[in-house]
Order: sequence, then C-alpha cells, then structure tokens
Amino acid sequence: MNYDELWQTVLVELEIQISRPNFLTWLKNSSFVQNKDGEILIALPNHFAKEWVEAKYHKFILGSLRTKDSSIKKVGYIVDRNIFKKESSPPAETVLAKAQPNKDQLSFLEEMKIDPESGLNPRYNVNSFVVGSNNELAYAASLAVIESVGKKYNPFFIYGGTGLGKTHLLQAIGNEIKNLSKGKIKIKYVSSEKFTNDVIWAIRNKRMEDVKKNYRTTDVLLIDDIQFIGGKEKTEEEFFHTFNTLYENNKQIVLSSDRPPRAIPILEERLRSRFEGGMIADITQPDYETRMAIIKVKLQEMNESLPDEVIILAAKKIQRNIRELEGAINKIIFYKNRKNNLFDIGQAEKIINELTEQSAINITPTQIIKTVASFHEISPADLTSKTRRKEIVEPRQITIYFLRELLNLSYPYIAEKIGKRDHTTAIYSYEKINRLIKKDQGFQQKIMIIKEMINKSNNL
Amino acid sequence: MKILILRSHLKSALDAVSRIVGENLNLPILKNILIKTDTNKIKISSTNLEIAINKKIPGKIIEEGEISILFSVFHEIVNNLQSERIDLEDKKRNLFFKTDNYEALIQGDNPQDFPIIPNIKKEKEFIEIQGIILKDGINKVINASQFSDLRPELSGVLLTVGPNNIKLTTTDSFRLAEKTFSNQQFKENFNIKPKIIIPLKTIQEVARNLEEESNIKIFIDENQILFKTEDLEIISRLIDGQFPDYEPIIPKELSTEILINRNELISAVKLTSSFSSRNNEVVVKIKEDKKVLEIYSAESNLGENKYLIPAKIKGESVTASFNWKYLMDGLKNINSENILFGLQGDTKPSILKSLSDVSYFYVLMPIRTS
Repeated sequence: MNYDELWQTVLVELEIQISRPNFLTWLKNSSFVQNKDGEILIALPNHFAKEWVEAKYHKFILGSLRTKDSSIKKVGYIVDRNIFKKESSPPAETVLAKAQPNKDQLSFLEEMKIDPESGLNPRYNVNSFVVGSNNELAYAASLAVIESVGKKYNPFFIYGGTGLGKTHLLQAIGNEIKNLSKGKIKIKYVSSEKFTNDVIWAIRNKRMEDVKKNYRTTDVLLIDDIQFIGGKEKTEEEFFHTFNTLYENNKQIVLSSDRPPRAIPILEERLRSRFEGGMIADITQPDYETRMAIIKVKLQEMNESLPDEVIILAAKKIQRNIRELEGAINKIIFYKNRKNNLFDIGQAEKIINELTEQSAINITPTQIIKTVASFHEISPADLTSKTRRKEIVEPRQITIYFLRELLNLSYPYIAEKIGKRDHTTAIYSYEKINRLIKKDQGFQQKIMIIKEMINKSNNL
Repeated sequence: MKILILRSHLKSALDAVSRIVGENLNLPILKNILIKTDTNKIKISSTNLEIAINKKIPGKIIEEGEISILFSVFHEIVNNLQSERIDLEDKKRNLFFKTDNYEALIQGDNPQDFPIIPNIKKEKEFIEIQGIILKDGINKVINASQFSDLRPELSGVLLTVGPNNIKLTTTDSFRLAEKTFSNQQFKENFNIKPKIIIPLKTIQEVARNLEEESNIKIFIDENQILFKTEDLEIISRLIDGQFPDYEPIIPKELSTEILINRNELISAVKLTSSFSSRNNEVVVKIKEDKKVLEIYSAESNLGENKYLIPAKIKGESVTASFNWKYLMDGLKNINSENILFGLQGDTKPSILKSLSDVSYFYVLMPIRTS
C-alpha cells in the first residue's frame, strides 16, 4: 500500500469517528505530502484546519497510521495554499460576468502583455508551435521568412480556419524577428480591424500623414484577418498604397486570412493579385497525432499532467479547432484541481462531450439545408426536390454530408428529410463527399467555409 | 463563567465580529461566537475559517470560563435591550442572560467545538502605524478593487514594504489606485521586506473596525496576516498569487494635462451621468480654445447633455470616454481643491492626482469608442 492509500484509509476511519460537518470542514481536502524517515507530512487546506487537526485528531491519526505501518514515527502538518485556493473558489462564470462591466471598457492587463510598439504578444513563439502535416508548409515558410526578412517570400500569405494557429504563427514570426534582430528591425503587428480603425481615425481627424508614416516606415508588417478589409474602400486603398510602398522597399509583409485570396469576396482585383504574387500557405485541421502533440505541449506549458486516457479522448473527440481543444484542456485541468484526488476519467469525458455537443446542439437540419442552399445561391426547395440537375445534385450531397457529419442523423432519416429518397442515396452521397474532401484541396476549403457559415448561422 | 458587562461594550464587540459570522454551511458552529474571559477582559471571537476576529471588552469577571452561542439571537437581544447592565452566566453550556427586568436562556454549544484561531509565529517583526493613517490609506484604494475569482490576485490589496515607504495598491484591471505611506508615518523592522496580497474582505474589516486613535501592529507570517491593537485582532489568510507588474502602465508622459476644480468636476460627472444608463459612459472633451472642459453624455432613446467647466489645459486636444462610476471613485479618493487629470489619448491609461499630495494617484482606462 502506498502512502496516499494509507492516508485514505486513515481518513475513512476518521470519518466514522467524527461528525460529518467536522470531517468535511477539516479533513476533506487533506492530502499526503511526503514520508521522510518515518515522518509523515500531511497537507491541510488552511491554518484553521491545521490548528484543529493538531489539537483534536493528532493522537488518533498517529495511532491509526502506526497500526498500519509501524515504521511511522511522527506526523506533521503543513498548510497547502493550493488546496485552499481550489477549495474556496466558486464557479468562475458568475464572476466573469461581474468583473466585466462592459466589453468596451479597456483593461490595462491586456495592454501590459502586449509590446506597445510592435503590438506583439510575447506569449507566442516558434517553439510552442506544434508542427504536423496540416501546417508543415506554413511553418517552413515562416522559418524562411524569419531567416531572410523581406527577401524570400514576400508577401507571405497564411490562410486557414478559425482556431488553427494563424495568429500564433503570425505573432511568432514577429517575435522571432524581433529577438533575432535585437530590436533593430521595426515590426508592426495589427489586426485588420485596428488598421481600419486607424484609417477611419485619420480621416476623421485629418491626420492621414500620421497613419501613413506609422505604417510605411516599418520593416515588417503583420496583418491578421486581412479578409475583413474586403469591401472597405478607403481602407483597401490605403492598404494598397502601404503595401506597394513596403513591397518596393523590400520590406516583409505577412498576412493571414480565413480563406485564400481568391475566395475573399469583394476584394479589389489589384490587391488579390498582389497577395497571390508571394508565398501562399494553408493551415488545415490537425490530424490525431498532431492534436496529441498539441495537448502535450499545452500541458507542459501549464506545468500540469493528465492521464493518457484523457489526452487520447480529447484528441479523438475534438478535431476541428485547436482553440476548442485548449479550452477543453483548461476546463479539465480546472476541474481536476478543484476536485483534487476525486477526479476521474468519467468526468473528463463528460466535459469533452459537453463541449463537442455544445457546438452542434442547436443546429437544426433546416438550418443546414438553408445555409448550404444560400451558399450555392439556390433555394432550399431545390435541394429537397426531385431534380437531378448537376448544379443541384452536388449541393444536395453536401447537405447530406453535413446532416450526417454534424448531427449524426441516421441515413434513412436523412433520405426522408432530403426529398423522400432511398437511404442508399444518402450513404452514397456521404461517402462521395468524404472522398472528395480527401482528394480535392479546393473542395475541402469550400466545405470548411460552409461549415463555418452553419456554425455562424447558429450563433445569430 | 459568570460576568457583568455593559451593554454598549458588548454591542461594540458584537458589531465588530458580526460580518464574518455564519458563512460556512458545512460547519454549523461557525454561526456561533465564542465568549471567553481573558485576563480581566472579555474576549469575543468569530471566524469563517478565512478570517477570524477577536475583540476584547472590559467587564467584571466573577468566574472565569467560556461559552459558545448562536450569534444572531444574541446580537438581536443586545441590540433591542434598554438596560445597560447585563449579567451573563453559563449553565451547562447554555447562556443565562439577565438584566434588572429581563431574563433569557440561550442554548449554547460545546466551546471546545469552536475553531481554534491560529497564531502568528513570527512575533518579532511587524509594522506599526497609526489607525487613522492606515484607515485613510485603505479607504483611498479600496474602491479600485473588486472580487474576482478568475483573477484572485486582484481581489485584494497589495501591500509592499519598501526601503523607505509602504505602498497599498489595488486594481481591477480597469483602474489602479496606489497610496504611499512615507517613513515618518510608520515603523517597521522586517528583515525581508514583505510584498503580500491581503484579501478585500479582510481589509474591509480592518477599515471598519479600526479605532482611529489607536496604534495598530501588523504581523505577517508565511501566508497569514494579523492586525492587532490593544483590544482588536484580525487574523486572515493571504491571497496566493502574483500581483501584476503594474509599474509600466502608470502614465509617465502625458499628452494632455487638465488642471481643474475637483468639486466642479464631481458635480459635472454626477449631473451628466443621468444620460448614460447603458454603458455608464461619459465623454470628456477639450474644446478648441483649450480653456474649457466639456463633459458630455448621451443615450439614444433618452437624449443628451453636456456640462462646461473652465480648466487650465496643456497639451493636445483630446476626446475620451470613461465609465463615470470609475471616474467618480477616483475623484472621491482625492481631497485637494484642484486635481490634475492627465491623459494619453483616448485608448491609453489616464491618471488622476492631487497637485499638492504626491502620495496618491488613480489610474483609469478609457472606454473604447467605436
């Protein structure tokens, strides 16, 4: 029997001896710390518990321990602040709402983390970026950009779905260049929202020169989520000139977007062709092994550990989004620390299931049909009609694919839903789309965009 | 136990321990207080296992002893009582309560079941400071802190003992307040200068119960703190965590400096805020000629209003929005006639301070304007 178990059996005996309130208050969050030459050390949640246990239960504890293991000579107690903290923290959600009076209220804690000059957050670096087959190209190109700033791949354009690591990579490029050049290279990281705001501010205050100077004198310009400037004419124009100035002077430009340049709607042609003139790399969803690696890196960063079964489960279940994956791990760790030794796999499974179901729970078949139809600019009625026109058949198959993939509906039900077809049609369609996704990058891209549209339609 | 006690003394002690009684549902005895004779005085204690308060009051001790009874009913009796002289006597763990025209028997619990209040082991090192000074300092910083379980390190007051000063700092990440005590205002003898976070609840109890004229000693153990005067002890755990490194956000170069009458600014903010129900937002705007400060607030379905105040303004023209409640908190914490309101544009932290008193400042973040 190890000492943890030994302590647990002592607790069981104590629980019978003393009243339940006393047990819960003083001993529930206790744990075995160490055994040094027969001197046992027990951690208690606070000073009150320490005083109490020393005064009231010490004799019993020592006696009980010694009957089980005669090598034990002494028992000591310490206050472990961690178990205290965990024990006393009420649910986080309620507090979050209280602490944020209004989402526009600026907070300097956020600001403190970010380097005011470059806008970079030092948290992101190249080493913590987990490389897998899904992002190899983007990663390799990033390293090349870091090595020869402005010379090799310019502009460098990264695209991929939300929560897959675009911002991480962009920030890491900035941080790495900053560290290597020891501050000699001027770097600027902005979101396209910030860029737009700056342009608007400049127009309003007639200070265009300031903004021009600000952006055009930098050596490395990193713009996140560039797709949002599409359709904002003045911003696009300003960006176009900034882009040209920097490009002509061999300054590095790195852009990120949730889709390739040609798929950004209402983006001016001259910008599109410029984006495509450099290096384009995509980041797709990580495979299982990469997800495992990501969880392990994340745990290392947090200095925590989880049983392998939990890691495998999380990696298996949460496939789409790294941010979600990290969120799940954070939540599991939070629960694990609060529950201390009462944590088990079942609980982790519950958390993961909750998270994965949460995103799909509110989607209805009708929503999927509507979204797919509106993406293809056809009417929902066409999808469920009998027609076999080519421009209808593929969207119909995509609909079937999503009904199966997102809602996990049965084939007969799907077939019924999609115009009283045979269930084999549904099976065929699902498999066909799956094949296409694996084969055709462009098609995969399209499926991803539709998927995001479905998720968004759900949030509205 | 048999004692004779004056109602006013008893009431003051019960008020002192009242706020931390009865918060734990697991252990019913925490709803109780402990009354104990303690070398010519009577000690009344309460605890919620995070904080404990011991208050000593004078009384005539006829027979030594201790008793633990439910606080709420005892407090009510003492509050509503007319007579000044009270006899208290324990009869088999129950409390027999008697005045010249009133009698009560209150059921008690075994005093041995009342939690043991921990001691501070390091008794040689302490800070000594006058009650009124500490209280004033706490009151100036306390409203910039909020309970936050997501960031427990912010739910308290940072106490930093420096080589020549002691600082009290609070922040809720939207504003930050700091009060500095100069070394004429306190004595301390710590070898290793402590830097600790005291829970908000504890510091509230300290500010509430501190007698202004008394000297207070502050002892700090590994993760406990004790505030001690002759008659009062407040013992509490400390918050374990890293207070943010806030130094960089204190504005150093101000792009706009506004020197303005404090009372007038307070009335302006109060008045204009009537139109800011949604975001609590008021706009601070400098007029072109830089002689007038405009406080403006509007709500689309209510209307709008503005208030003009003459001010001495240096630097750039600026328009920035603030949560008026936060702005008001800062203004209330400064007592001088005129204040300096310094800004660095509409997205960077601003600062409020007095021109005459350098020991205090209040940093406030603006609200993002779309």
